[in-house]
Amino acid sequence: MAQLFTPAATTLFRVAIVLLGLGVVAAGAVAYVWARSGSTWNVGKPAPQPVPFRHDLHSGSLRIDCRYCHSTVERAADAGMPSAQTCMSCHSQVWVGASVLEPIRSSFLLGQPITWTSVHRLPDYAYFNHAAHVAKGVACETCHGRVDQMPKTVKTQTMSMGWCLDCHRDPTPNLRPREAVFSMGFEPHGKDLPEDVRVFYQEASRRLTSCSTCHR
Amino acid sequence: MTSEAQAVTRTVAEVPLARRFGVIWWGALLASGALVLLLGYTLVSVTLIGVGVWGINIPFVWGFDLINYAWWIGIANGASLFAAILVLRRHDLRTAVNRFAEGVAFFAVICAGIFPIIHLGRPWLFYWVFPYPATFQVWPQFRSTLTWDFWAISTHAIVTSLLWYVGLIPDLATLRDRARNRTVKRLYGVFALGWRGSVRDWAYHQRAYRLVAILVLPLILIMQSTVAFEFAVTLVPDWHETRQPLHFVATGLAQGLSIVLLVAVLLRWGLRLGSYIDEGDIDLLGRLVLASALVSAYLYVDEIVAALLADGIAQEATFNRLTGDYAGLYWTAIVYSILIPQLLWLKAARRSTVACIFVGFSIGVGIWFDRFSIIVGGLQTDYLPSIWRTYSPTLAETGLFLGTIGLFAALLLLFVRFLPVVSMFETRHDEHEEKSS
Repeated sequence: MAQLFTPAATTLFRVAIVLLGLGVVAAGAVAYVWARSGSTWNVGKPAPQPVPFRHDLHSGSLRIDCRYCHSTVERAADAGMPSAQTCMSCHSQVWVGASVLEPIRSSFLLGQPITWTSVHRLPDYAYFNHAAHVAKGVACETCHGRVDQMPKTVKTQTMSMGWCLDCHRDPTPNLRPREAVFSMGFEPHGKDLPEDVRVFYQEASRRLTSCSTCHR
Repeated sequence: MTSEAQAVTRTVAEVPLARRFGVIWWGALLASGALVLLLGYTLVSVTLIGVGVWGINIPFVWGFDLINYAWWIGIANGASLFAAILVLRRHDLRTAVNRFAEGVAFFAVICAGIFPIIHLGRPWLFYWVFPYPATFQVWPQFRSTLTWDFWAISTHAIVTSLLWYVGLIPDLATLRDRARNRTVKRLYGVFALGWRGSVRDWAYHQRAYRLVAILVLPLILIMQSTVAFEFAVTLVPDWHETRQPLHFVATGLAQGLSIVLLVAVLLRWGLRLGSYIDEGDIDLLGRLVLASALVSAYLYVDEIVAALLADGIAQEATFNRLTGDYAGLYWTAIVYSILIPQLLWLKAARRSTVACIFVGFSIGVGIWFDRFSIIVGGLQTDYLPSIWRTYSPTLAETGLFLGTIGLFAALLLLFVRFLPVVSMFETRHDEHEEKSS
């Protein structure tokens, strides 16, 4: 009767075991890179919006303050999205008949909110508070990037928990003087912080990385 | 191999190589397959709807999930401890029972492993207990019992499957040599890892087998204590005792041995393996089961004595378990796991298939009630009237439990169908020794 296996079978089997081991390691490496890549977290992907709103035009060219539309950013957890009234404060005068603004006008007339699609949605169990961050000198730009240069609003950071913790462990390099919080392209970061603020955050990072700071 | 040696183990090898396997086997497989479907259904329902489909609620945060986890782990521990000791002692009994004792242990681990995952509430995130570099940059909490479960179950699965598989290798080679169909030959051949039966192969095999068997010994004590410590780290008075690990190890051994006895008798009867698992083997197993039941009895007495010596709340908790709402569970456990096994004092009972099945089954049932009593009865009634409720399992929980029994039975049936249930190489070895002496 013919042999079941050729003499090379043992070698083949050993090679297969080694390849399997390498494959597991490679799969781990791929998963590691994939979980950290921007595309996994929808970085740079615009969301479909009811109106083709342009930050680069409004915030960049026209230099409208962030707080004009995101009006509760300094006093609430949520930064707030503009209502139709806010838009109509200008658009009752300019671009009055533009067809792209039709959803704004109908929202205004019906008294209903505009259904903006969130680009930076955090999970429900993360209690992010805009007011606290803004008050302590974390700028809009630090998390949202150069919004004033975006024709379509996109994420520039992963917004993963690890990314949050990167800053919570030592916030000082990302803090700005209060007057620079709403400005774009501010340099240099953190260098001109007073000494007592630095000392404070050395101690405070313990509390900032505690579970219940963000998960309650 | 001489034809004489071949003849010795022909019946064992013929079983997995047979083309047809009878109506009873198919019937049993279909029945257990139906239970596996039920398992699938309950797993899907708890995943989609959540743990609300279970009867658990404050204060009964642990119900059937932990009862059955502790129960299956007990079977796994008892069976693999028994198998490992037989390998290390080179006891004659190993030829008869080792293979399926290892199989029973491995299948029980698989059943046990389901519960810690499914009871998480969000089972699809179970991998969060692995220590891996996650994007949320938080490592598993090492003080959490969930993390212990992960290490316990994964270590257990690796070691018991190794013990089972390493023991199987020479027999897989025998099946490869005797199979008639070429594809079947090749399949067994791959799993036999190129076994040649050379002296070198045997030397390595013996070393590997004994090494894994030695690994089992500390593993079992640590694993079973891990289950006990998961209770001990809580604030529940009745679980907060140092005797708990000992109780789990000893009753787990009794339970594992009784399941091994049950399976041994069933195999002997079902596959006509009377000459491989002989009366002496069953007799010896019966004595072991009886001895382990006596150790359990000692521990039950110890529990009461320890409670008498304990402070107020711990004492109250223990006696509440003995006389309170769940007293029935406790006394059922005593009857089934302590009193009924006393039958095995009689030689006639140890030699009787029916009696062995009855006792093996009753210890399994008894220890299940014991786990039920510890877990549910240990959760003392509080002063808040809003939580004065009793625990009873819902259909989803019962289905889960029955499903794991079905899974266990199905795995056992497939094992019986495709692999030699009695160690052929050990049997041949014994025969040779008998002849040369």
